[in-house]
Amino acid sequence: MSKIIHILMVEDSPTDAELAREAFLESKIANKLTVVEDGVKALEYLHSTCTANSENCPDLILLDLNLPKKDGLQVLAEIKGNVLIKHIPVVILTTSNAETDVIKSYQLQASCYITKPVDFEKFAAIVQKVQQFYFQIVTLAPSGPHDGSASGEQPK
Amino acid sequence: MGSRQWLRELGWTTGTNMNAMISDSSEEKVQLGDVQRALLNILEDSDAEKLRLEVTLKAMINILSDSSEEKVRLDEVQRALLNILDDFNIEQDKLKERTSELQTAIGEMTRSNKELQQFAYVCSHDLQEPLRAVVGFLQLLDRRYRGKLDEKADQWITHSVEGANRMQVLITDLLTLSRVESLGIAPRPTEASEALKEAQENLSTLIAESNAVITIKGNLPKVMADRTQLMQLFQNLIANAIKFRGLEEPRVEISATFDSEANQWLFAVRDNGIGFDMEHAQRIFTIFQRLHTRTEYAGTGIGLAICKKIVERLGERIWAESQLGKGATFFFTLSAPK
Repeated sequence: MSKIIHILMVEDSPTDAELAREAFLESKIANKLTVVEDGVKALEYLHSTCTANSENCPDLILLDLNLPKKDGLQVLAEIKGNVLIKHIPVVILTTSNAETDVIKSYQLQASCYITKPVDFEKFAAIVQKVQQFYFQIVTLAPSGPHDGSASGEQPK
Repeated sequence: MGSRQWLRELGWTTGTNMNAMISDSSEEKVQLGDVQRALLNILEDSDAEKLRLEVTLKAMINILSDSSEEKVRLDEVQRALLNILDDFNIEQDKLKERTSELQTAIGEMTRSNKELQQFAYVCSHDLQEPLRAVVGFLQLLDRRYRGKLDEKADQWITHSVEGANRMQVLITDLLTLSRVESLGIAPRPTEASEALKEAQENLSTLIAESNAVITIKGNLPKVMADRTQLMQLFQNLIANAIKFRGLEEPRVEISATFDSEANQWLFAVRDNGIGFDMEHAQRIFTIFQRLHTRTEYAGTGIGLAICKKIVERLGERIWAESQLGKGATFFFTLSAPK
């Protein structure tokens, strides 16, 4: 894929964010990583980029659950409740492996749930696989806002 | 409650004709035998929970038995009964007081227990983030700078990563321990064989690598347990048996025998490992207590503490019997479904 993929990471821990940045660097898939450190900023970012059909609207969201101001599940619910951005896959990437968090995340239509490993090697491997899966295997909706009235081709 | 009403109800519940005897009697005197029989009925029915009442009643019965007369005065019986009533009320007040004291104590214990669990959970959970920073950046150093520093620096990085990894295992184990209470569900009928099968699947790598042979003697029963925790219990005990193996390949035998009197199953997990001196039989279940150095046997000293917590949460017992060099057997009880 030649297009540079854009990933929005919602992560309040600067060290976790930096580790993720390094892991993405090692993955050798051309990408752009934007990090915001809380839930409110995440939603602001999505509203300002995606509704305006800007190029900065992310292709994939990596969402931590334990966030200041607005927690991850709330952010997830708002993303999935907004017709303009709900097509963007949200990968939950968190330290929690509490069953209730896993269940709630899927109920709120997270694409998948990943528990952050402590080990960097494992973390880098996960980042690599997530990118491969979303940007080499699956077909994502084209970038930009989609309001359900469906722009683009009609099925023949 | 008025004394007459109380007596009437007491007479009613004991199924005697005491009620009629006390209130409806037109006679001045009643049959001594009737009073005695009624009192004995009360004594049997009050299930002896109020010791003082029992003593007073017994004393009264004795007084009545000593009487040489066939009949006693009704007002004497009534007076005696009112005395019992007074004693009974005092006893009840005391009982109420003690119950409320106990309730307060239980409430406090529950709260502090909950706080402790929350503390353990938050600790283990929130500790992961800084730990990830330590491990992560050390590993990054290792990846990007190995060979660029000197040999000693490389070694120090290796030691640091190992230390951090051990801490991670410790935190995970502590988290598991704190979750025995916080995530445990009420016991329900559970197939022990299924929990054991799952435990064996989880340990498949360890079992294969150590050439361990796990045998199940007879059929395992259905017991009252939390399935996930029963699985964890088997898993920890089998992993323990394999870890502390001797020179021979590990053999682990699992069996269950029924005690019909207690409606209880006694499980035994027997191994042919190095065993331990019975003086340590209690200590091995205490958190962080280890009988060996980390270089001899790796581990956090939490595994058996988790087992103990799982079993004791169900109000059951766990213990071990062993002889140094002659293997060990871990026993635990579980109730049969009613």
